Amino acid sequence: MVNLKNVSPPSEGIRCNQGEITAVWNGEGLGPGTLYIAETCVSWFDGSGMGFSLKYPSISLHAISRDFTAYPGEHLYVMVNTKLNDKCAEEEDNESTDDDCNADSISPVTEIRFVPSDKATLEPMFSAISECQALHPDPEDSDSDFEGDEYDVEEAEQGQIDLPTFYNFEEGLSQLTLEGQATLERLEGMLADSASQKHHCMAGVRPEDTPTGCCNECGAVGVSGQFEDADVDH
Amino acid sequence: MEVSHSIRERTIAENSLVILLQGLQGEVTTVDLRDESTARGRVVNVDAFMNVRLEEVLYRDRRGRLSQLADLFITARNVRYVHIPDHVDIMETIQTQLTRIRRVRNFAGEKRGRKEYLKKKN
Repeated sequence: MVNLKNVSPPSEGIRCNQGEITAVWNGEGLGPGTLYIAETCVSWFDGSGMGFSLKYPSISLHAISRDFTAYPGEHLYVMVNTKLNDKCAEEEDNESTDDDCNADSISPVTEIRFVPSDKATLEPMFSAISECQALHPDPEDSDSDFEGDEYDVEEAEQGQIDLPTFYNFEEGLSQLTLEGQATLERLEGMLADSASQKHHCMAGVRPEDTPTGCCNECGAVGVSGQFEDADVDH
Repeated sequence: MEVSHSIRERTIAENSLVILLQGLQGEVTTVDLRDESTARGRVVNVDAFMNVRLEEVLYRDRRGRLSQLADLFITARNVRYVHIPDHVDIMETIQTQLTRIRRVRNFAGEKRGRKEYLKKKN
């Protein structure tokens, strides 16, 4: 049972706009129409202006199918989490998450096929949806969060704000105060000196075959072996 | 193997195991989805958000029906497992990806980078 609505196509952020696309909703053909792939949603409308809209978080996957046993014609296949899509459509301003949205194997799925008359459009349509999907990362995904304060990576790279982590070389140099520069020169001098003396120990970190006790000579602080499990300096 | 052009994506990748998946570009592997369907194909790209793009895919839906898909994009949220092929050396893959990211980042400051390297060698 398809619920078509009389909605207007997206007004901005349109990446791809293709006519003569037949939509098939869960096996039910809806006739020819126009497909709009925009940054906010994927929409399709038939000749009378009736259509549907898909929000990216509700799109589980999309694909190009050239398998005639699945459907007699090359097409763009889209799998939609129906529950999520209805929810997204109704509660556009509501950002709260709902446990129902997380229902996996039980959740109702809608299979939509967009069959173009021009098969050459399949790849651009596929790429457009892929690019727009990347604009909507999962807000519930905590794996890619940083620990500590969030910061704008691009601003940080331009040296406009303080980084909570380490700098790369030229960023670090540009952020040094006079005192910092003096410290850096002193430390680099120590490095050069200790390296020229063929000294194998630095700041308590030593390769396994170096005899214990050499830490005292290079003036490093700390008990030998203290930093054995330290990460390699970047 | 390309490194993302986005600073944000490079930073996320550098701090997450998704960098391992990015190193699988070109490998044929199986992705298990949350709805228990599976997709086996060649990894075209994995972005920092873990969206997975495969090509030449054998897709088995949750009811066990098989179909072939030329190109498949799996939204990150729907990825349950990505199988790492047995022949892939995990640590080496991660290290290679990290090196690529840093090479891209230090491209502008290459001269200074080299200078620092030479000093340590002395």
